[in-house]
This record gives sequence, C-alpha cells and structure tokens, in this order.
Amino acid sequence: MRQLRALALRLRGLFGSRLSGDDFAAELEGHVALDTDDGIRAGLTPQEARRQALIRLGGAEQTRQAWRERRTLPWLESLIQDVRFGLRMLLRNRAFTIVAVLTLAIGIGVSATAFTWINAVLLQPLGGVAGPERLVTLESVTPNDGLVPNSYPDYVDFRDHLKLFDGIAVTKPYAFSIGNQDHAERVWGELVSGNFFAVLGVAPEQGRMFLPAEYGDTPGAFPVAVISDRYWRSHYAANPAVVGHTIRVNQHELTIVGVAPPAFHGSMPVTAFDLWIPYMQQPVLNGVGVWLLRDRHNRNMLGIARLKQSVTADQARQELKALADRMAILNADVSEGMSATLMPLWKSPHGPQGLLIGPLRILMGVCILVLLIVCANVANLQLARATVREKEFGARLALGAGRMRLARQVLTESLLLTLAGAALGIAATPWMSHALRYLMPPGPMQQLVAMDTSPNLTVLAFTVGLCVFAALAAGLAPALQVGRLSLNARMNEGGRSGSAGRRNRLRSVLVISEVALALVAIVGAGLFARSFQTTMRIDPGFDPDHVLLNQFFLNTSGYNLEQRKEFCRRLAERMQTSPGVTNVAYSDGVPLGFEPSWWEELKIEGYAPQPNENMNIFRNVISPGYLPLMHIPLVEGRNFTEQDNEADTSPAVMIVNEAFVRRFFPGRDPIGAKVHGWGSWFRIVGVAKDSKYHYLSEPATPYFYVPFRQIYRTDMSLAFYVRTQGDPDSILSTLRAETRAIDPNVTVFDAAPLKEFIGASLYPQKVAASLMAVLGGIAVLLAAVGLYSMMAYWVAQRTQEIGVRMALGAQPAHVLRMVVGQGLRLTAAGLAAGALMAFALSRAVSAVSFTNSAMGGGARLLGGSAFDPVVYIGAVVFLCVLAALAAYLPARRAASIDPMQALRAE
Amino acid sequence: MAEKTDVWQGTLALMVLRTLESLGPLHGYGLARRIEQTSGDLLQLNYGTLYPALLKLEQEGFIRSRWGVSENNRKAKFYELTKAGQRRLKKAASEWEQTTMILSRFLTPVEEA
Repeated sequence: MRQLRALALRLRGLFGSRLSGDDFAAELEGHVALDTDDGIRAGLTPQEARRQALIRLGGAEQTRQAWRERRTLPWLESLIQDVRFGLRMLLRNRAFTIVAVLTLAIGIGVSATAFTWINAVLLQPLGGVAGPERLVTLESVTPNDGLVPNSYPDYVDFRDHLKLFDGIAVTKPYAFSIGNQDHAERVWGELVSGNFFAVLGVAPEQGRMFLPAEYGDTPGAFPVAVISDRYWRSHYAANPAVVGHTIRVNQHELTIVGVAPPAFHGSMPVTAFDLWIPYMQQPVLNGVGVWLLRDRHNRNMLGIARLKQSVTADQARQELKALADRMAILNADVSEGMSATLMPLWKSPHGPQGLLIGPLRILMGVCILVLLIVCANVANLQLARATVREKEFGARLALGAGRMRLARQVLTESLLLTLAGAALGIAATPWMSHALRYLMPPGPMQQLVAMDTSPNLTVLAFTVGLCVFAALAAGLAPALQVGRLSLNARMNEGGRSGSAGRRNRLRSVLVISEVALALVAIVGAGLFARSFQTTMRIDPGFDPDHVLLNQFFLNTSGYNLEQRKEFCRRLAERMQTSPGVTNVAYSDGVPLGFEPSWWEELKIEGYAPQPNENMNIFRNVISPGYLPLMHIPLVEGRNFTEQDNEADTSPAVMIVNEAFVRRFFPGRDPIGAKVHGWGSWFRIVGVAKDSKYHYLSEPATPYFYVPFRQIYRTDMSLAFYVRTQGDPDSILSTLRAETRAIDPNVTVFDAAPLKEFIGASLYPQKVAASLMAVLGGIAVLLAAVGLYSMMAYWVAQRTQEIGVRMALGAQPAHVLRMVVGQGLRLTAAGLAAGALMAFALSRAVSAVSFTNSAMGGGARLLGGSAFDPVVYIGAVVFLCVLAALAAYLPARRAASIDPMQALRAE
Repeated sequence: MAEKTDVWQGTLALMVLRTLESLGPLHGYGLARRIEQTSGDLLQLNYGTLYPALLKLEQEGFIRSRWGVSENNRKAKFYELTKAGQRRLKKAASEWEQTTMILSRFLTPVEEA
C-alpha cells in the first residue's frame, strides 16, 4: 500500500519536474547556508566554512542527482528520453521512416484483415446462441464413410431415443420467395424442426420463438415464421407490432410470431439467413409430397445437437452410433450399412465453412510469410541504417553511454516504428475488410453473407502479438550489432565506412539473406497459389453464365405427371423460338444448388460389387437439351433425343460420366452396357465429361443422367433453364409471358441467373481466392522492395570505391559490369540458399492434409508435388532480373559522376 | 550494491524517525547534526544521503514537510512525524532490537562447547 503510494508520487514526479526541482534547490541552499553559519560561528572564514559545508554534504550536484533518482522513476525517464530521441531520428530520416512504417502497416493490416475473416469463419462459428461450446454437428455416415445430412424420420428416431443430449434439431437452408408474384423477393431462410431455437438457445428479441406445441411432426400444421433482426429493420422499420402480421412466403400466408436477436444469423457460419419456418410447412410451401417427409432416403436435413452438461462428445458419439447401427439393421432396405457421428460445428462439411477451412489455413500460412518478409525488410533497413549510424554510436559510446543503453535505444526505435505501423495497419483494417465486399460477386449474395468486419478483441490481441513479434524481430539484429561495436575500431577508422572488409562481408551476407528470403516468399506464394487453383477448381465443369433458372412448383397448380411433362415440352418449344435464346432445357436437380442431390441404387452388368460396397450413385433427370445447354461435352456415344420417351417401343437409356466409367468399366467399353435401376434395365448410350455436382471441392464423382420423359415422377423438382446470348435477366419477361400463355395459373416468381443461384457455393472460395491473390501479390512486392533496397544500398556504399577505380582509369562500362557481376554472384548464392530453404519448407508443409470432409477428401495443403519447376524457375528469373536492375541503376549513377566528386563526397 | 544501500537506508530511516519523535519538527541540517551527535560522532554521515531518504519517507507518508524559518532566520524546510510514522517507528524499533539481540548472541564469545 505504502509502496503503491510512493510509486504514484514518483510517477507524478515525472511531470511538473521543474517546480519541485527548484523547491529542492532552495532546501539544499538553506542547508548549506545553515552549515556555513555554524562554521563562521566556529571561527572559520566564510569561504572556508562554505567549502567544508559542501564537503560534508558530499557535493551539491551529487545530492541533487541522488534526490532526482529517488523522486521519479529513472528508467521511465530514460525511456521517455529514448522515445523523444527516437522520434527525432525517425523524423529526420523521413524516407526510411515512411518505407518502414508503410511496410509494417501493410503487413499488419493485411494480416489483421485475413485474421478477421478467419476469425469470423472458424473461431466464432455461431452468434447469438447460448453455450455454443456444447453444440455439435450431427451427420449421417454412408457405408463408405462419406458424410451426408440426415433424413427426417432418422432425425425423429435420434430425437426420441437419445439420452445424452439436451436436444437435437435439424435445419435445411432454403431460398424462399416473399411477396406477390410479380415483385417477389428472394430471401434465404431455413426450414427447421420446431425445437430449433430451443436447442440453439436463442431468445426472441420480439414476440416468441416456436412453442413446444409447434415442435410436432404434423405436416402443414404450423403456418408460422420467425424473421431476422436485419429483415425486421429493413422491411418493417423495426416496428414491434410486426408480431402477428402475415408474411407471404412462396404464395402462402404465414404468421410472424417473433424476431430473432441481432447477433443470430442462423445455423451456418458466415451465412446470414432471414427467415425460419417449421420444416413441417415444407409440403405446403414447396408443393412436395407429404410422403417425402417420411422417406428415409431423403437425407437433406443438417443436424445440430446440444450435449448434456458433463457428457463428453465421445460418450454422446458412442450412444448415437449404437442407435444408428440398430436403425441401419431395422431399416435395412434404405439404410443398410449407414451410421451416424458427431463433430464440432466448424468441422461440418456442409455450408461455407466446410469449403473454407482448407483455404483459410493456406491464407494463414501466407499471412505469416508476409509478416516474416515485413520483419526481415524492416530489420534489414534498420541494420543498414545502424551501419550508417556507427559514427554516432561510436561517439555516444566514447561519451560514456552504456552498451545496454544504446541497444535499448535501438529497440525503442524499432518499437516506435512498429507501433506507428501497427496503428496505421489497424486503422486501415476496417477499410480493407470493407474492400472485401468489392471482391464479392454482385447480387443478393452480398446480403446473404454476414461477416463481422469490425476488428474485435481477438483480432486486436492477435495484431498486438504481431507487433511485439515484429518489434523484436526488427530490432534484435541491429541491437545485437550495436552491442558488438568496438569503440576503438569505430573511432580510429575516422568514419571511413565502406573500406573495412568485415563490414563489406556483413553487407554481402545481408544481400544474400534478402535474396534467399525473397525466393522463399515468391516460391511459397507461387506454390500456395497453384495448389489453391487445383484445390479450388473454380471451373465447375459446366458453364453457368448467361443461363436463367426458374424452379416451377406445378403441384400447387394441380398438375398430374402427364400434364407436367406436357407443360415442359410446350414451354421449351415456345422459348426456343424466342429471340436471343440459344438453348432451353429442364431437369430435376440443379448442380451446385442448395437442394440435395438424389441417388439410385444400381446393379451393373459385368461388375461384381464388393460386399458392403455402396452402389448408390448420384443422378439427375434431364431433358435432351440439358447437356448442350450446360456446355457439358459428350466424350463418347450420343445425347438423349425426344425419341428416348415413355413409349414402349423406346428402350430405357442412360448417360454416365467419366468417373462412372473409370469405376465400373475399367478396360471395358461402357456403350451398350446394361445397368439396372428403378426396377428396370437401362442401356448406356453416352459418356459425358465429369463436372461438379454438389461441391466445387469434391473429387470426381460417379454420376449418371436419365431422360426426363422416361423417369420423371411427380415428387421430383422441376428446374427450367434458358440460355441467352446476353444478360439472362433480359429474358425473364419473355419467360413470364410464355408461361402465362400456356397456363395463367402458373407463375414465374423465383427466376434467377444460374450463376447467382450457385453463387452461394462458389462465393466463399472466390473471396478466399481473391484474398489469396492479393496476399501473394503483396508478399512478392514486399520481397522485391526489400531486395531492391538492399542491393541498391550495397552498391551505394561502394560509391567511393567506384570513384577510386575511375580515378585510376577504369572505364564506366567496366565498372558497371564488375558491380552488376558481383551483385549477380551474391544473388546466385542467395538463390541457392533460398531454393534449399524453400524446398525443405514446402516439403514439410505439403505433408499436412487439411480437410476431413468426405466430399472433398484427400486434398492436401500443397496439392501434388512440392517441386513445381514453373514456380521455381519463374521466381529465380524474376529475382535475377530484379537484382541486376537494383545493382545496375545505382552503379550507373556512381560510374557517371566525376571520380573526384565521388572521392570528396566523404 | 543496491542491497547495501537499502540496509543503510533502512537504518538511516529508523534514525530519522526516532530523532523526529524525540525532538519534534526539524530541518534537514538539524537532523543531520543531531544524528551525528547521537551516534557519538562514530557515524561518518554524508549529509547529502539524508535527502533521498527523507524524500522516500515522505513519499511513503511517514513524515511530512513544510517551509519555515530556522532559529537564525534562514528559510528551511521542516520535517515532522505523521501518525503512520509513529506506528512505523514502533514496529521498526522492536524489529531492530530483536535483530541486534539475535546477532549479539552469535557474536558474543561462548564459553561452554
């Protein structure tokens, strides 16, 4: 307590120092006067008395010094001095300061931006829920260990029989149309089990969430909805009276019962949903058959479970697995070999984060690389400057400054630089995060994604950590060098810097290390970028541009099967002849859509499946125009035609993809082979090129197509595609008019460009890819700046030597060749060291696999080989050119000036 | 080095507190002279070292100071004991007595082995 009080007083002593300093001077003056008076009284002369008084005191200045040290905190005072001096030095070397601060700001700002993004996806998976740490994802497991969502009947069994959970909910993301037919708005929401909010622990902001009475399994019994805070504010002006209002969803009226809190955006990270509706409304809203809700084949519900307190994930997983294994035996017709498991929310393979985890880890690696380069650049700048300042340091050492004190001064300066850079970087972070939005595809996806881009505490802590790291890294080398300074050598050389061989060597080492680092950076960025390309496979294998997609719900218009087929045929005919339309097609499933894909259990002639082999193969039901419209080429055989129809005379046919052929027809010709499904035999007539069906990151998946007219059934969806020459939206009015001409009761209210529709699955990767490109570019740029400045500095330091050579008769061209040649030799040494480092590093990194998702399985952090000759050769050539340029430009300047001037410059 | 000063400062602080207790308010010079006299001129006190010690005691709240006029009309700063200072003195004195007693037992020659 006493010590605290003393500390506070001493801290206060730092300020207003002059006043109490004067105060003490007066006290000391009084002391000496009193002592002198005594001396005079004892018979001494006034001068002698004063001299003795001062001796007894032990010196006035020494006393003042001792008193000052006690009054304030000396280390703090010298720190303030260091800071003041450092600021003065930094202001004097403006060019150095600006380069260093900007470099640091870019490094820190970019890393903080990337970390904000990583943080939003990985570290804060769900906002607005209670106890998120006890929430887990519940996944069904296929016989070959793939992860798939759950069917509703399976969910009901899980919910009713598992004991170790505080609740299990299911949800299915869905795009709804809100409002009237002609100005319907697409809003993303979730179809959820009634207990969804109870399991997640979300309290209403207005009204109520779903009641236990609404948890039931009765189809169509719960015409209610909860809206998001965002939707409430944008569409209802945050009016509390919204509770009880009706909202028109997919042409059906629902009652808004509540508003979710602002922090809650739904059950998927990074994705913001605006509407939650009980799953039991699905038959009404989407016109699907009620029996679908009872079908265990229909696995499209994402499961979220809450573990009971004191139950571990392992115990719960065991209980779940035991039940799922029993269910697989009881429902052997549909679930043979199936199981189920739990995993952390962020590991769920569904939704954006499943696609993002791998890329984000790569991003993090690149961030660290960028930061390392930043630190090395700043350290090199500092080290170079410390060489210039050797004279100053020498003088200060000679005047009695301690080595520690000098080292501390250098460290303080680096810290100042870092803090300035960090402040600038943090200030730029919100702006840079905002700039992320410009990387996003236009359209409604911008609203779909919720990201908290304001830097939060975690991000700040991360950045501050980076700062300390950067300060230590950038300051350590110069500080060590100062500590090693030999006083005699400094003073004796008379400041003739540049002539000592030892320091020339040091500078050579600096250039070599910078080259090596630049090579590691460029090779790293290049390898990451290339593996990113292969991982991402942004090319989905079909062409979604210029295609308008509309999903019809003909069930709600009372169509039977024949009428639906007839409707499709007539609409296709009419659209085909419309101006601007190049292709028309229709199908059951939409590739890369939110809707789940369907599979059929096949038997293949001439192929003997292993016991327990999963013969459920994904499929689509398509019109003859589908493959040409999608620009999916046939590699063999023929496409479907209108003659592949339901007539008894036309045999059932099928088109398979290349992966299908590779798996079931190795070394055999698939054309003409027979395949059994839907209770009859099909003949393979064509082979289509592989494309992406569910996720961009999935490996090549066996897949097949069957003709719309032969297989289409009422429970299937109906997606209608129109390919145009120009903007797909321009054809929307034609599609509306033609639809109305066929049947005024059928309306087009859900049409959107296909690219936009599948954008949901493409978008996170696009952002990550853009960020990756920006970061890689920055890494290369920074490395180039560092190499250039080091090389240019190395040459500039030799101006004198060049002057001497010129004075002795060397030709400018000769000197140039010599300097550039030496620069390139240094570069070659650096490249050799860097190549070794890069190779070792990339081999270590490439051993790491980054994804657990069965859908995108097998992807490694660095796809393929760590030795990609294109990347290495490109980096080496780039650095050689850069180094030659960096040596040539200052050397030319040095060689072009008058030798005498060069010599006198010192 | 620092430890040695601390011990010295510790004992010096005790002397200051004790002197102020018995004589009442005193200025720095008076304190120094009095401490020298009390020690029977055995203590070679550098008067200058007194001031940091006084400052420390003041910062810790054991003494307080105010400007006044000395007996021969010189302007001087007078120090006096606070309540906390009195308590501190009592405690420190008994601790010090105990320490010296223990030490003297070690230092006096012992007859029986």
